[in-house]
Amino acid sequence: MSLLFGVFSATAVGSLAYPLIRYLAPPEEEAGIKTVTIDKRSILTGKAKEVVLGTTPVIIIDRPGKGYIALSRVCTHLGCLVNYDEEEKRLVCPCHAGIYDLEGRVLSGPPPRPLQQFPLRVEGNKIIVG
Amino acid sequence: MWKTLRDGIDLRIGLKDLIETKLKGYRIPKDTNIFYTLGIVALFAYMIMAVTGYFLLIYYIPHTEQAFKSVQLIMTKVPYGWLVRMIHIVASSLMLIVVSLHMISIFIMGSYKRPREVTWFLGGLLMLITLTFCLSGYLLPWSQRSYWATTVTTSIPTAFPVIGDYITRLLRGGEHVTGVTLSRFFALHVAFLPPIFLGIVGLHIFFIWRIGLSTPGFSKSAQHEQPWTGYRRTTYPESYPFYPNFVLKEALMITIFFALTFFIISFMPNFFMPEAANTPANPFKTPVHVKPEWYFLAPYQLLRLIPNKLFGITIQILLIILFLLWPFIDRSEERNILKRPLLLVLFLVLLGLWVVLTIWGRYS
Repeated sequence: MSLLFGVFSATAVGSLAYPLIRYLAPPEEEAGIKTVTIDKRSILTGKAKEVVLGTTPVIIIDRPGKGYIALSRVCTHLGCLVNYDEEEKRLVCPCHAGIYDLEGRVLSGPPPRPLQQFPLRVEGNKIIVG
Repeated sequence: MWKTLRDGIDLRIGLKDLIETKLKGYRIPKDTNIFYTLGIVALFAYMIMAVTGYFLLIYYIPHTEQAFKSVQLIMTKVPYGWLVRMIHIVASSLMLIVVSLHMISIFIMGSYKRPREVTWFLGGLLMLITLTFCLSGYLLPWSQRSYWATTVTTSIPTAFPVIGDYITRLLRGGEHVTGVTLSRFFALHVAFLPPIFLGIVGLHIFFIWRIGLSTPGFSKSAQHEQPWTGYRRTTYPESYPFYPNFVLKEALMITIFFALTFFIISFMPNFFMPEAANTPANPFKTPVHVKPEWYFLAPYQLLRLIPNKLFGITIQILLIILFLLWPFIDRSEERNILKRPLLLVLFLVLLGLWVVLTIWGRYS
């Protein structure tokens, strides 16, 4: 009797828990925009431009002597968006003071890993990210 | 008229008997002090939150395009809407202060000791739920501050390998904080948390009522306490009735709570409302110098100071577990904290650390 009770209880709880977890889990998002194209002339040397790739905020920087780079603006610590510090040539997170260099590498603060880098190519006057 | 009404009620439910046995007959130990009323003040604060919350629901729209506008409408166009919202905001912060003082005083008075371990545990749970109420509530205005505070908080699970990212997605309802997150937090704030909170409050009060109020560990009556070997209702020879004596003390503290609430609203209205709380959310711009609410400043500063994210978050979770289970860990029978210098020093150091981190977080 107690075995039957246990088996049916477990079946009832499991059968309810599974759809509940599936219900709470977010549906898969659509891929969104896979590439972003901007005019090369819109970024001067040493300056940066912010764009959105899919749902990810991205910053494109024209590094003096090193060319363009596209980095995610999402701080790898707790998800705030980094800002470009033009004078110091670094990226700073306003939430917990994480600091990155222009390659996206962590210089100081609590971020556990570098900023995500996106593929970027230059075609004529266009910069294509993604 | 009044007598007829009273007699009518008495005839049906035995009102006099209820008052005599459950209120006047319920005895409160003589050594109790004003800090024993903080629990009921916290419950009263919750009731204020609930009532003002119902009124805010009449105008609030939980949608990313409308949430901020509807809150601004409440603040600027709805007659006395600003008052309802300000009471909701100020009372929430004061409620947390009251709950914190309640826990601190219970700790100092050694009232968490056997047989009141579960009462402490339930009180700790209520404090965590109150914080969850605050957290879910401050996303609702969809302001810069609320958006980024939620982004940071929901990113915390990502510190944990394997399941961390999944939990974050589950909390947010997607990769980022969006309208789906707003709906989830709204449902949590107004539908899921209140019954859980009230259920635990009921249990908490049941435990207090059944066991009886404790006395401070350093009081005279505590010196003659017998060890708990089986259930018994605590009786105190020199006690006084719950009603009217203790109820009057509670009424005084509730009045002080009201006085503080309205004083802050009238003379320091921006005390709990920084500028970022009045700017609409912009998912592509984290405001410079964004700060969390005062009660999250200490964990915020700790996260800034500890370079390892996993370590920084794990240490905070361990502290919460230690706090909740403390009565089961501290098995010493000595209730008088003055006779336990090590515990007293440890407590003062932790409290001082919390205050320092809060101030540091505020001005860093």
